[in-house]
Amino acid sequence: MPQTAPNGAQDSRAAAYERNLYQVAQGGRYFTWYGCGSCHGRSAKGPLNLGDRVWVHGGALDQVYGFIAERHPGATAGYAARIPAEQLWQITAYVRNLPRLTPEKRRRQDLDQVGEPQGSNWTGPVR
Amino acid sequence: MSGLQSALEPAGEQAAGIHGLFWLMMLVCGAMYLLVLGGVAWTLWRAFRRRRPASEPTIDPPDIGLNRGMLGWAGLIVVGLTVLITASFLVERNIAAARARDALEVRVTGHQWWWRIEYRDPRTGGWIETANELHLPLGRTTRVALGSADVIHSFWVPNIAQKLDVIPGRINLLDLTPTRPGWFRGQCAEFCGVQHAHMAFDVKVDAPEDFERWLAGQAKAAAIPADPVAARGQQVVTGGQCAMCHTIRGTPSTGRAGPDLTHFGSRRSVAAGTLTMSRGAVQGWIAQPQALKPGTMMPPVALSGPDADAASRYLMELQ
Ligand code: HEC
Ligand code: HEC
Ligand SMILES: [Cu+2]
Repeated sequence: MPQTAPNGAQDSRAAAYERNLYQVAQGGRYFTWYGCGSCHGRSAKGPLNLGDRVWVHGGALDQVYGFIAERHPGATAGYAARIPAEQLWQITAYVRNLPRLTPEKRRRQDLDQVGEPQGSNWTGPVR
Repeated sequence: MSGLQSALEPAGEQAAGIHGLFWLMMLVCGAMYLLVLGGVAWTLWRAFRRRRPASEPTIDPPDIGLNRGMLGWAGLIVVGLTVLITASFLVERNIAAARARDALEVRVTGHQWWWRIEYRDPRTGGWIETANELHLPLGRTTRVALGSADVIHSFWVPNIAQKLDVIPGRINLLDLTPTRPGWFRGQCAEFCGVQHAHMAFDVKVDAPEDFERWLAGQAKAAAIPADPVAARGQQVVTGGQCAMCHTIRGTPSTGRAGPDLTHFGSRRSVAAGTLTMSRGAVQGWIAQPQALKPGTMMPPVALSGPDADAASRYLMELQ
């Protein structure tokens, strides 16, 4: 289990995450849990759309990871202090896989996760 | 046959009804079974007595007694089944009828692999959240609204009531009317993934005054630790990665993905019945949740030795 950030675009640990659909899907789950979807959700536009193949801050493994961990805008200036390393690997794998996630599959995933906790305003699937 | 997780030692109205039904079925089916065995024995005995040399072919005359016996037997089956159906109808009607009474409202959400539990606050009308430990007032009906965050689970406290499946996208209602105080144990009763076996919860039935006192305690925000080590622990837990997933009311920790930890130290077990509550267990859980409950959705969070020590000390103080 990685405890550190990728050491470059070709980090040898990458395949275990990026080519493993379980890890990618776990990344999607934590993406929801950590509330990323409230800004980067399915209908996100422009720089907030993470699935459009346009990477404003670079699309290589270490660039995406590094941006989320160290430079992402917001209260904590980067999520490294908030998200453990392994989840960052999984989330990076998920985000980098988004361009390949067809609308049909993404809809399916949203349906699967509709009851799951999302961000800190979540009040539960029971209403 | 007895114990804190047994349907054969009922401690609730619903479970008592089902327990009665169980013994009635045992009695009716047992009596029928003994009759069948008796019939077999009798037949064998008759055949043995009438044995003749094999060379002598015979044609048996029609046996009127046997025909009558068969008719009586069919009648007996009809009577037995009617008794069982009627009894089961009455018991189920009784279980459903409890819904009409003034009930305490509780929401329970199944997660892979733990239980989120919320009580309606009698003072504010809001919800008081806790996890993995259900407290119930003695003699009063509690109506549990069951929801699921992910897959199908099943909610079962065998001593108190029947089980009910927890279905994603649905709310199922289950009534629990405990009749005996004490500790019991509930468990997820529908396979829901690798850690299904570690998806248990403790159940405490208390006198109504004690229950009210407990609930008022749970409604409070977390205590601010006086001890400097625990205070450091508070910084570690509420200012770092844990805060993304756990709520500790009264601190900056507001995550919703994992169990509410506001009064974690008052619980009896750790991680849905995986470990008995102790400081060692808590510290071990923080250090390596994946080793203790492989597959759990809680990730290992890298903390230095002193920080992990402080964090567990703080969590134990969340009474
Ligand atoms: C409060 C809204 C908000 C939340 C929540 C949020 N983001 Fe962002 N994110 C942004 C904004 C705004 C940008 C654009 C920053 C820029 O271009 O300078 C961004 C940019 C990014 C980028 C870079 C995109 C690119 O084109 O290079 C990634 C990757 C990213 N976010 C991932 C995440 C992840 C993962 C999470 C959850 C852990 C998350 N974000 C949560 C607002 C948010
Ligand atoms: C990705 C979200 C996440 C992070 C980060 C996280 N946890 Fe958890 N935690 C969970 C989940 C989910 C559970 C329930 C696990 C289970 O029982 O299978 C849990 C369970 C627990 C429990 C047991 C609760 C109970 O009711 O028995 C404790 C204690 C705990 N976490 C403490 C911590 C601490 C301390 C940290 C930071 C060092 C932390 N957690 C970080 C998600 C998280
Ligand atoms: Cu389950």
